Amino acid sequence: MQNAATNRQDQEVLELLKDYPMPEADAGFYDQALVRATHEGSRRQRNKWMMTGFGAAIAATIAAWLIGGMLLNDPQLPAPEAAIPGVTIALAEPRTVNLVFASATALDSATLTVSLPDGIELDGFPGQREITWQTSLQEGKNLLPLTLVALTPAGGELLAHLEHEDRDRTFRLRVDVT
Amino acid sequence: MPLTERLVATEMAGSAKSILVDLITGVTLGNCMSTEQQSLAFERLVRPHFDRLYKLAWRLTGAKAEAEDLFQELLIKAYGKLDDLVEIEEPGSWLCRVMYNHFIDEKRRYARRRLHTVEEGQLAGEGLQNLPGGDNPVVDNERLERMKQLDKALQQLSDEHRIVVLLHDTEGYKLAEIEELTGVPVGTVKSRLHRARARLREILVADGTIS
Repeated sequence: MQNAATNRQDQEVLELLKDYPMPEADAGFYDQALVRATHEGSRRQRNKWMMTGFGAAIAATIAAWLIGGMLLNDPQLPAPEAAIPGVTIALAEPRTVNLVFASATALDSATLTVSLPDGIELDGFPGQREITWQTSLQEGKNLLPLTLVALTPAGGELLAHLEHEDRDRTFRLRVDVT
Repeated sequence: MPLTERLVATEMAGSAKSILVDLITGVTLGNCMSTEQQSLAFERLVRPHFDRLYKLAWRLTGAKAEAEDLFQELLIKAYGKLDDLVEIEEPGSWLCRVMYNHFIDEKRRYARRRLHTVEEGQLAGEGLQNLPGGDNPVVDNERLERMKQLDKALQQLSDEHRIVVLLHDTEGYKLAEIEELTGVPVGTVKSRLHRARARLREILVADGTIS
């Protein structure tokens, strides 16, 4: 008798559970969540890769220093203009430029500053000519995506300045606008 | 992920538009997706699974605000792993696992919020506000009351028991699917399911919901 009662109760529990409702998502929630995810995801990705990528660069720089003393400041190095990479972007069209950095070791507490030429903005940072990040860096090659928007056809030189402890290095990227 | 794999992954996901520059060597390495293309590729991959993910988020957290929070956090995490996502054969299952793992990692935070909500008397029956009605108001009211009691009983279970019983008995997950989602062996899932049902029976008999 007790088993029969228990079985019936179990069945009732199962029926209740099958009937247990759940409201649907509010109208527009999915769309809003997508927009927030791509915006916030891009920001986190940028920060993460920024940290990783610039860590790589700093490590590469430090490795160079270790090998050749203050090699990076050596006046015998080729003129910076000869090594400046360039990209061409269309006016008013956001374009992602991925910067690659190689690092020999992981580094903590580096500072990266991106300085933009007049008429070029970093997507998500309207009106800012200089953006600074604090970051920790990992070993290996890493990407730093920067989404650039050209507001004028002038173009110019983007500077990425890395600092770690008492060392620093500035990378240059020529940005042309069509 | 090595750089070359990243490039392959991003190129597979959409037509190339942006530029890759190595600032150390000054060499332009190749192309990968623009932010806009990334967003579109991401949406194509995840949107088909939204209803399933939202249900899972609700069943894991047991409350609307927390479910929305969990859903949102999953999307942000998944966006950061877009390169992995494009290569996964079953992105829906992968997304569910990421959501579950995130919930487990953040369980204490969600539990604190849930406790707070229960203390404020807001949780019980929260999901029942739009219970579909029938032709008989008396029957509808009785059903609503039973659902509220079930809701309260479920809140008395541990997370492990509540999640298993809701996924299996309410959402229709198979035992193997719960194992895949949670990483808990089928034998343990069975055991938790058995105990969860028994505990629910005890609570619901004691409060007179079932006899």
